Amino acid sequence: MKKFLLASSMLIASAFGAEAQTINILMESVPDTRYVQEMLPEFKEKTGIDVQLEVVNYAEMHTKLVPQLVAPEGSYDVIIVDFYWVGEFTKAGWLQPLDERIQADEFPVDNYIPSIMDLTGKVDGTTLMLPFYNYAMGLTYRKDLLEDPKHQEAFKAKYGRDLKVPTEWPEYLDQVKYFSEDAGIEGFKGVVNQGQRPDPISMEWSNYLFANGGRYYDPETWQPTLATPEGIAALTQYRDSIQKYGPIGAANFSFDDAFNVAAQGKAYSYLTFNMFRPVYDDPASSQVVGKMEIAPVPGGGMNGSWGWAIPKSSPDPDAAWEFIKFIESPEIAKKRALLGGAATQKQIYEDPELIEKFSYYPQLGELLAYAQNFPVFTYTPEFVDVLGRELSLAVADGKDPKEALEQVDKDFAELLRKDGKLQ
Amino acid sequence: MRWLRRAAPHLVLIPFSLAVVLPLLWLLRVSLTDRRTAYQIPPEWSTPHLGNYVEIFTAYPFATWFWNSLSVALLSTAVALPLATMLAFAFARYNSGGAPLRLSILASQMLPPIVMVLPLFAVFLGAGLLNSRTAVVIAHVGMNLPFLAWMMIAFFEGEVRQLEEAARVEGATRFQAFWKVAVPVAAPGLLAAALLAFIMSWNEFLFALILTGKRTATLPVGLSTLDTHRGVEIALLAAANMVAILPVFLMMPFLRRYLIKGLSLGALK
Amino acid sequence: MTAAIAQRDRWFGFAMTLPGLLALLLVVLFPILFTLWTSTSDFTLLKPSNDAFLGLSHYTQAFATPEFRHALSVTLAFVVAVVVLEFLVGFAVALALDKVEHGKAVYYVILLFPLLMNPIVVGLIWKMFLHPTLGIVNYVLSLVGIPPVDWLGVPDNAFWTVVAVDIWHQVSFMIVLLLAGLAALPKEPYEAARLEGAGTIRCFFWITLPLMRPVIVVTLLIRLIFAVKTYDIIYIMTRGGPGQATELVSYYIYRRAFVGLDVSQASAMAVILLLVVLALTAWLHRYMRSLAQ
Repeated sequence: MKKFLLASSMLIASAFGAEAQTINILMESVPDTRYVQEMLPEFKEKTGIDVQLEVVNYAEMHTKLVPQLVAPEGSYDVIIVDFYWVGEFTKAGWLQPLDERIQADEFPVDNYIPSIMDLTGKVDGTTLMLPFYNYAMGLTYRKDLLEDPKHQEAFKAKYGRDLKVPTEWPEYLDQVKYFSEDAGIEGFKGVVNQGQRPDPISMEWSNYLFANGGRYYDPETWQPTLATPEGIAALTQYRDSIQKYGPIGAANFSFDDAFNVAAQGKAYSYLTFNMFRPVYDDPASSQVVGKMEIAPVPGGGMNGSWGWAIPKSSPDPDAAWEFIKFIESPEIAKKRALLGGAATQKQIYEDPELIEKFSYYPQLGELLAYAQNFPVFTYTPEFVDVLGRELSLAVADGKDPKEALEQVDKDFAELLRKDGKLQ
Repeated sequence: MRWLRRAAPHLVLIPFSLAVVLPLLWLLRVSLTDRRTAYQIPPEWSTPHLGNYVEIFTAYPFATWFWNSLSVALLSTAVALPLATMLAFAFARYNSGGAPLRLSILASQMLPPIVMVLPLFAVFLGAGLLNSRTAVVIAHVGMNLPFLAWMMIAFFEGEVRQLEEAARVEGATRFQAFWKVAVPVAAPGLLAAALLAFIMSWNEFLFALILTGKRTATLPVGLSTLDTHRGVEIALLAAANMVAILPVFLMMPFLRRYLIKGLSLGALK
Repeated sequence: MTAAIAQRDRWFGFAMTLPGLLALLLVVLFPILFTLWTSTSDFTLLKPSNDAFLGLSHYTQAFATPEFRHALSVTLAFVVAVVVLEFLVGFAVALALDKVEHGKAVYYVILLFPLLMNPIVVGLIWKMFLHPTLGIVNYVLSLVGIPPVDWLGVPDNAFWTVVAVDIWHQVSFMIVLLLAGLAALPKEPYEAARLEGAGTIRCFFWITLPLMRPVIVVTLLIRLIFAVKTYDIIYIMTRGGPGQATELVSYYIYRRAFVGLDVSQASAMAVILLLVVLALTAWLHRYMRSLAQ
């Protein structure tokens, strides 16, 4: 034990003993974290501050963070916040407002795409985070098949419309049906879905809801509006996608299970996070290199993003801000995007150098401009839990879609009332 | 008939071993390939490469995770085992504290650990031990002690007491009867308990997650980072797992000497 | 026995328990008391402090929550399934291993492999093997003409798949303990029984089982406690779905605390769980004593 105390105190000494200032950041394991890592030497050179990135699993990050945030002083100077947690972290008062710092340093916050700034930036007029990277959902599809004259002809003959990148939702549903039933490719499906509880299914189904013109709640009154004809149509279509047109097992696919089906070339389309787009072109992960493309989901897909924040328990908020200011500066944001990062600033999607490098950037820019947000309030995670449960019951356990959505509305309303949003 | 008697155990053990080994062989194969090939059906046999093994040591601090886990598991077992053995002996021979005490000791491990996260974090924050391996060792001692004690009670209760009584008559103290007679006779149980304590600590995730920091993260915490927001790094995970089960071979000499011999020693008495 | 000796026995027992008890008090007493206190109070992650005394309202609330009751019943089925099946398989393997003359060390090392694997890894790799279209298991089945099985996408299948994966991972835990118990059995009773002409099966029921009773009970008990706490495999493989087929109570309690943010409610549910398991343990303990006499 003595040896350990000694060893750990030596570690601490080596971390803090030198005059170098050190900040600690808790991050999740994604490529964007790696790109941040690559910027650190430049930051150190500029400011003399040493940055230690601690990486944990995404799903366990919340469990790791909460005790730290509850404590009067935690270990982390900077944290990253998923849009899921924004309501909770705000309500609990765990984050430091950034507005004064932004003003003092004239940080260009207008660069951010507005819907992303709404999601992981400003909360009720106060800036608590700066958007770090986005994970808005898009429609990924087999470009090679879509452009194949054989399929174009056959599709037109059967469905009476052109086979092209879908701009209308029914058009997409026809394509799904065609590639599952009529295209005659063995073991091939029109769609693969991520039907696992609670976030994979909830995030994916949101696209179906928005595409049908449905919405989660009435923006005026916060009255839930899922058990409506639009919502029921969305759930019925979603159940059909999984049970009729998709590969077996999709009712419990995580996004990884579903992505692998698409990457193995066994499905025509997959509605998924846009950061999967480059992975399709990675020969170590994919059989469909050069064959997949991404487009906005008709009706506007699901938005998603992470933001940088300084927790109240931050030991060194000033150095923390120095870091955020640096890593989110237009220059560094572009450098990260060039490495493959999922950017949150508008000008990046218009940058010729980046468009040259990533052909799909214009589509991404469009996708982000139209992306719609999930309800963000204090109990968002619990709402996702309820929604995921009922959707899964309807998809996999024979529950009537209308009944399932009525149950969601009821539980949603209760959570909104608890949060003071709904009277 | 004799050959049948000799073959019979293998009829149980061979299917069982295959059920364990075949998935692991497939995992070994995954560890020597990439994600694309890993999911390819029908399987394609590409040239195996060791890139994943290199990557877990270069792109990830795998060696640190491994060493942290090994030291935490060894140390927490070394601390918990003697304490638990003494506790168990007192329970089994002297009925110290009676049934309520032993039950409440075990009851301390019946709460789902998630509800202990906040108070436990507060304790170690207060003690200034956060982000250290010491904290995890202490947490694991607390976690394993009750189970070990109950295992050892069972082994002590199964023992014949005449040997200890004989030793006492010949002038041994109570502690000598425990240390020189009861403990050696319970060696198979002691070994099993030590093994399981090591394993419980080796795999423990939640306490390690909240109590460690970047340099002190254990294997479970580190391995979980391979399950990312952008998919599971399945080939790296397979490679990491192959290395993570190697302590079995570190135990080999120990097992050979104490387990196999210890087993027959136990049967002799 | 004179009073003086009894007194010294008591002191010796006390001295032997002291270090272990102190260690436990230091580590687990505060978290447990804190959990008890929290379960009667109003601790949420939004307001992380115990300010009001709410009595047993979280306890009545827990029983009034259909999801909690459902999770309890799924957990009961899961625990019975894994403990019984692991015991049957585990005992058979332990008996074989105790008898085997060649290759004991090799077999022993093999059975340790799954135990050294992290539950998260076990969940992820089995999810890969059991992938309905990209997994090796369905591929091998297809070679012998069996159509693809939807291991995790159908409620009933998912429950049994999770049970099977748990068995694969944890059965060796039982084997290690049971084998140690078998190894410690005295030989004399068997020799005596053989002289009286008892066969292998009779020896097993007359001698092995009764002598093994303490070890068997402890093995079952410890596996039961761990099975009640099963969490990682569910988290990785099904998240309680599809539908609510694999909604285990530990995973539900985790969500009450860290997703629903209601730590007090989660604590009350945790204490209910503790009381159930404790009652079961006390009953088993008593039963074991009564048999021993």
